[in-house]
Amino acid sequence: MKRYITYIVLGLLALLPLLGLNSYLMHILILVIMWSVIGMAWNLLSGYCGQVSFGHAAFFGVGAYTAGMLYSKLGISGWWGFPASVFVVAVFALGIGYICLRLRGPYFALATLSMGVIFRIVAENLVGVTGGDLGIMIRERTWIDKTWYFYIILIVAAATYYLVRKVIESKLGYYFVAIREDQDAAESLGINTTKYKTIALILSAVITGFAGVFYTNYMGYIDPKVVFALHDISIITIMVVMVGGVATYWGPVVGAIIMVLLAEAIRSIPKLGTAHHTLFGVLLIVIIIFLPNGIVGDFSKLKRLFGMRRPAP
Amino acid sequence: MKRLLWVIAVLFVFTLLAVPVLAADTFDLVIPLPLTGKQAKFGEIMKRSYEMAAEEINAKGGVKGKKLALSFEDSAGKPETARAIVEKLIDVKKQPLIVGEYTSACAKAVAAVAEERKTPYLVVASADDAITKQNYKYVFRQNQVNDHYADAFTSFLKEVVKPKTIAILYESSAFGTSGSEAMERDAKKIGAQVVLNEKFETGAIDFKPLLSKVKAAQPEVIYSVSYANEAQLLMKQIKELRLDAKLFSGGAAGFAIPEFIEGAKDAAEYVVSATLWTTQLKYPGTKEFAEKYKAKYKDYPSYHGASAYAAVYVTADALKRAKDWTQDGIRDALKATDLKTAFGPVKFEDKEGYQNQNFAETLAIQVQKGEFETIWPKNHASKPYVYPVPSWKERR
Repeated sequence: MKRYITYIVLGLLALLPLLGLNSYLMHILILVIMWSVIGMAWNLLSGYCGQVSFGHAAFFGVGAYTAGMLYSKLGISGWWGFPASVFVVAVFALGIGYICLRLRGPYFALATLSMGVIFRIVAENLVGVTGGDLGIMIRERTWIDKTWYFYIILIVAAATYYLVRKVIESKLGYYFVAIREDQDAAESLGINTTKYKTIALILSAVITGFAGVFYTNYMGYIDPKVVFALHDISIITIMVVMVGGVATYWGPVVGAIIMVLLAEAIRSIPKLGTAHHTLFGVLLIVIIIFLPNGIVGDFSKLKRLFGMRRPAP
Repeated sequence: MKRLLWVIAVLFVFTLLAVPVLAADTFDLVIPLPLTGKQAKFGEIMKRSYEMAAEEINAKGGVKGKKLALSFEDSAGKPETARAIVEKLIDVKKQPLIVGEYTSACAKAVAAVAEERKTPYLVVASADDAITKQNYKYVFRQNQVNDHYADAFTSFLKEVVKPKTIAILYESSAFGTSGSEAMERDAKKIGAQVVLNEKFETGAIDFKPLLSKVKAAQPEVIYSVSYANEAQLLMKQIKELRLDAKLFSGGAAGFAIPEFIEGAKDAAEYVVSATLWTTQLKYPGTKEFAEKYKAKYKDYPSYHGASAYAAVYVTADALKRAKDWTQDGIRDALKATDLKTAFGPVKFEDKEGYQNQNFAETLAIQVQKGEFETIWPKNHASKPYVYPVPSWKERR
């Protein structure tokens, strides 16, 4: 059962559109999958390699703007952003890595946080290049129906999952974990820490950029405040993984379900008005206090709580 | 495993419950709004006004015997969430028209969905020009476009102030940017030189470096475009620096809500702002709405409130005239709208490259003795304008 669970979940997800779900549920599902992708990407760099990034909005935004500018400047479909963003985002990630990866721990976190903000301000002010605050609006989205969007992001998510799994189970993954546990010890064992941290950063950035490309094509409107948002992108990314489970394969997916689906469900309770933020915030606090390793990370604890664990022999 | 399935099932039911059941003798209208976040102030004014209008209409028997049942969903100013709400309204609740939203970014996201799904969307207070410039058939806008926000103010400049130099300060948002571009064009038309055109961060609190630049440029008129807090802080700091100009002015939004006077106190005095509506207008129902709102909430509403209030009347009117309450039926009825409301006459026209746009008359207001007074155009004026404004030294 356990060995096939990935395929079963993937298969079930692939069959979902056949149920004829309404476009509201499809929208929420698409957002859940998109956030899982971003979460998995962040997890690779911050969960496994231990370099906690507060600036993933930078990569998301660069991906989104790559697609947006292909459309607005070159007049070609925003979907070309997928191949183009690999190169563009990687170059930006190299630049950021060159500056930030010299720093450790909280200093790295702060440096990436500022990177995210710097990118937003630059995008706001380079009016000639990005269109500034007026943003980029795609006049006609490719499809009205959401099925194709769903499959595209599902394929991206499946590929990301596969990639993360392959990387973490390879030698590379052990290097990452070694760096997370003790960078100096890793260095003394002959691991070129700078090189492997850069690899983790670029992989993470490119995947996040993919999510950005998808966002542009799917939403049809981007501006710097939306795609380079500190809270709405960078912090939510961290929350997705923290709630789901750091350094677990399924953590980001579970986290995305909580952060998108549950947030939306709470928001739609009638008559709750503006209190939904409070309610959701309390829920997050409870999760983080009682399940510090996230839902997937502390799954055994949860099992005990719901009485599903057989008593120890 | 079984327990887990139960938990999932409960969560699922919870999600479904979130969609309330339709009642038969009401027309349900769910309005997406920013009720939390930076834009919450505007959302609040609009929510109250929507409710007041619906109460009045229901008291008179509703629309075709059905009562309007309004409810609100918080989008927090996030396009993603606004879109989720609208998808739900169209698909799950089968609501045949969409009314609401505030920020231009959200309105753009909603407009794209509405057009794709062929559902009429009435924009109430989002200013960005682009929204009604996309050849959309199903998107209607009741408020004036940003390009024309300052029309009355510009004519005031042209006929009274006749400035040679002007400084434009604007916040980094779609609204701020298009507002500054419009003013730059207007300034050229009236022969004023733009000596400074500077952007500041939304949410900025320290304007002193920016203001010292303004001081160095010595403009006759200072014009700023921003949402709520920045407008108040900007004027306060202008006062602290004793930065004098012949006229301080703002482009609607943050400069035209009661919180501006409350927040900036005496620094707000004599500030002129463009606006789309004032409580002193002589349209039928304007005064009643303003007084009723004040009696209930102890403050006069801004143009956002008036537009929201009128939007419910426009909706009710369209519903009354519509052949049937389908998406296309309501669209055709909206297109034929010709209604006098408390917000002014509403009529959706195609001109100047805009579609389904209501070209409402704009006004200029000035803060005099802690109250907004309409000063321009002359036929709407409630008090004569004060110009040039006294310098900070003379004020006490």
